[in-house]
Amino acid sequence: MGNIHTKKLFVKALNKKFGKDFDLAEKNTDYAPFKELGVLQSDRKKEFMAASKALEGKRGISMYNPYLHAGGIPMGQRQIVPYKLSTTEYIVEGDDLHFVNNPAMQQMWDDIRRTVIVGLDMAHEVLEKRLGKEVTPETINNYLEILNHAMPGAAVVQEHMVETHPGLVDDCNVRMFTGDDDLADEIDDMYLININDLFPADQAEEIKAAMGKTSWQAIHIPTIVSRTCDGGTTSRWSAMQLSMTFIDAYNMCAGEAAVADLAFAAKHAAVIQMGDMLPARRARGPNEPGGISFGFLADMVQTQRVKPWDPPQISLNVVAAGTMLYDQIWLGSYMSGGVGFTQYATAAYTNDVLDDFSYYGCDYGVDKYGGWGEAPSTLEVVKDLTTETTLYDMEQYESYPTLLEDHFGGSQRSGIMAASCGVTCGCLTGNSQMALAGWYLSHMIHKEGWGRMGFFGYDLQDQCGPTNVFSYQGDEGNPLEIRGPNYPNYAMNVGHQGEYAGISSAAHAGRGDAFCCNPLVKVTFANPALLFTWEDIRKGYGMGGAREFRAAGERSLVMPSV
Amino acid sequence: MAYEPQYYPGSTSVGVNRRKHMSGDLEKLRDISDADVVTIMGHRAPGADYPSTHPPLAEMGEPDCPIRQLVEPTPGAAAGDRIRYSQFTDSMYNAPAIPYWRSYWGAINCRGCDPGTLSGRQIIEARERDIEEYTKVQMDSEMNDVALCSMRGCTVHGHSLRLDEEGMMFDMLSRCDLGDDGNVSYLKDQVGIPLDQKVNVGKAMSEEEAAARTTIFRCDNVSFGGEASERKFDEGLVALHHMWERRSKWGFRPE
Repeated sequence: MGNIHTKKLFVKALNKKFGKDFDLAEKNTDYAPFKELGVLQSDRKKEFMAASKALEGKRGISMYNPYLHAGGIPMGQRQIVPYKLSTTEYIVEGDDLHFVNNPAMQQMWDDIRRTVIVGLDMAHEVLEKRLGKEVTPETINNYLEILNHAMPGAAVVQEHMVETHPGLVDDCNVRMFTGDDDLADEIDDMYLININDLFPADQAEEIKAAMGKTSWQAIHIPTIVSRTCDGGTTSRWSAMQLSMTFIDAYNMCAGEAAVADLAFAAKHAAVIQMGDMLPARRARGPNEPGGISFGFLADMVQTQRVKPWDPPQISLNVVAAGTMLYDQIWLGSYMSGGVGFTQYATAAYTNDVLDDFSYYGCDYGVDKYGGWGEAPSTLEVVKDLTTETTLYDMEQYESYPTLLEDHFGGSQRSGIMAASCGVTCGCLTGNSQMALAGWYLSHMIHKEGWGRMGFFGYDLQDQCGPTNVFSYQGDEGNPLEIRGPNYPNYAMNVGHQGEYAGISSAAHAGRGDAFCCNPLVKVTFANPALLFTWEDIRKGYGMGGAREFRAAGERSLVMPSV
Repeated sequence: MAYEPQYYPGSTSVGVNRRKHMSGDLEKLRDISDADVVTIMGHRAPGADYPSTHPPLAEMGEPDCPIRQLVEPTPGAAAGDRIRYSQFTDSMYNAPAIPYWRSYWGAINCRGCDPGTLSGRQIIEARERDIEEYTKVQMDSEMNDVALCSMRGCTVHGHSLRLDEEGMMFDMLSRCDLGDDGNVSYLKDQVGIPLDQKVNVGKAMSEEEAAARTTIFRCDNVSFGGEASERKFDEGLVALHHMWERRSKWGFRPE
């Protein structure tokens, strides 16, 4: 055992939640004052009740009434406390973190669903080799200008076409990026995602080495289109506009066979979807949450680019993105419905709890093994890091009853403790399978110590999980980066998938990598024109909860004012 | 030499108590009447007939089957009772029982039951007269403390919340009440329906007794991992490490 590293980061958050004079360590309390107040403790609940009352006459049918909860006993039999978004100063009510009430959360998902990456090289080969046309930086700039006219939903080539109002689709844009510095120098700045400017020098070199001198388009179709249709629309919408733009920019015949090659490239051969299509029993097209691999999600989050010196912070932002997307939106709404999943997810990105647990484990590991990514990838090391971190985590819940009360559900606690161990093992070994091994061991230690864990299915997944960490069987033993929400053992329950994304990113953050799984995804989401705060996920959620975030996809421009 | 099951490792009070729960070798601390247990469960009125889902097995003309010959039906199954449940919530502040150990107790000691384990609650389902018997054993024994454990069919988050000022586990539905005489009474059944008459289940354990009888490891009572500055793992944790390592290596199987 080396030095004891504990910063108790959550204490400040708990003081803000329960009041600064509150004894956080006291295990007894007087519930009576809160029972009398009930839901009236919460400004947001009062706002909901007033809104519902105002709407009832208009709707002609009853609506929100928290006094219908559990046999007439309303919520608020204890203190209703707000949530602090971890590492930020944002404090919001729990309701503000449901994605329906939080436009930033919606935009995060919209930014993914409306994105595809399409290669330029295949199209350029068709133009040059088949049609004998010249492709130069000048023609590419001209093409990108036309494309940024057409992609939001405007016409080229054919006259008398209907078009979309620019004010409704202004979030749409297409920029290119390339591993060829000479070509990048010739591209107009407004059409370029400049890898050299946006990434630290070593990361830029690593990304360019991985992608070679290839060229790509980061395409973000209008939010309002993907909200009206679905993720599968994105490649289709973009492919039509790409094909028409090639016709215009390179003076092609609209009916010549080469257009079919360009369309095929845009729709199939050269397109990278953000999420794979799902099988019939889950029935979703491409670019829907259930098909987004953990590694891809990790690459969308940009903390790695702006804070490369802070591997836990990188991982925790991926956890925040993943728990919101996979728990609140995918499992919580696509697959299940209801509002309960938000409660699970918030534990992972609020009140600095997971941050404290993860930094404790990482500090312990750095102290003992020398630095990020320097611990040997062995079960002995995983056992050491995970046991120390889980015991610390459990001891905090035991020592701070208000902390335990904050994570009042066992699967919240299990997910948080195991995530801190996954992050720790990932950052220290630089190996995502070791991180996964730590995740599973933590769940088992928790269950053994307290005789309780999550719930039926939750526990099942984690108790059998160690056997698939190092499995050689193809469908069981995937590297964590290319597992996803539809991986056989992961498809069914909350409180796991976002954490898996986070701990797979931890391994690469610990190694100091520029990306986790796909350099093209990493560069695409570095696009400064994206609306969501991809560099700081928790800040974005806080802005959304505080009603400071303006999302795209609004229709108010073409509707009567309220 | 006769086989003697070894239920759980460790020489701490928690290890000893866990072995007692698993073996069913439990001390009886109180005697709550059958009628009171049935009232709190809330499935049928005390003294009412048992609703049935099929005729008694003896009247059904069962097929010739070696399994049926080997396994004697429980009284509830023989009578054709419906399946019912009891569900308990145990506080993390040294309640005697913990969910997995209630399940282990049920699975090892109660025939024809279906235990389910969650973080804040533990349910056992069985034929109605069987689950009534199993519930009474739990309520009467050292598995139960009337302040830190309670029968709750829903709203079970009190397990992790702070205790109230009298040391009672929080209950959003206020099913139990601590009287001036120190006795705890159920005012509502396990799903929160008010009772015609309150049911007295006796006095709570002292903090010291609960700490001695508990099966949960806590750093402020019996520690699972020793002090942070000087770790000392409980035997249960050492055994767990072994199991985790075996599971991980078994999954590897490069052949």
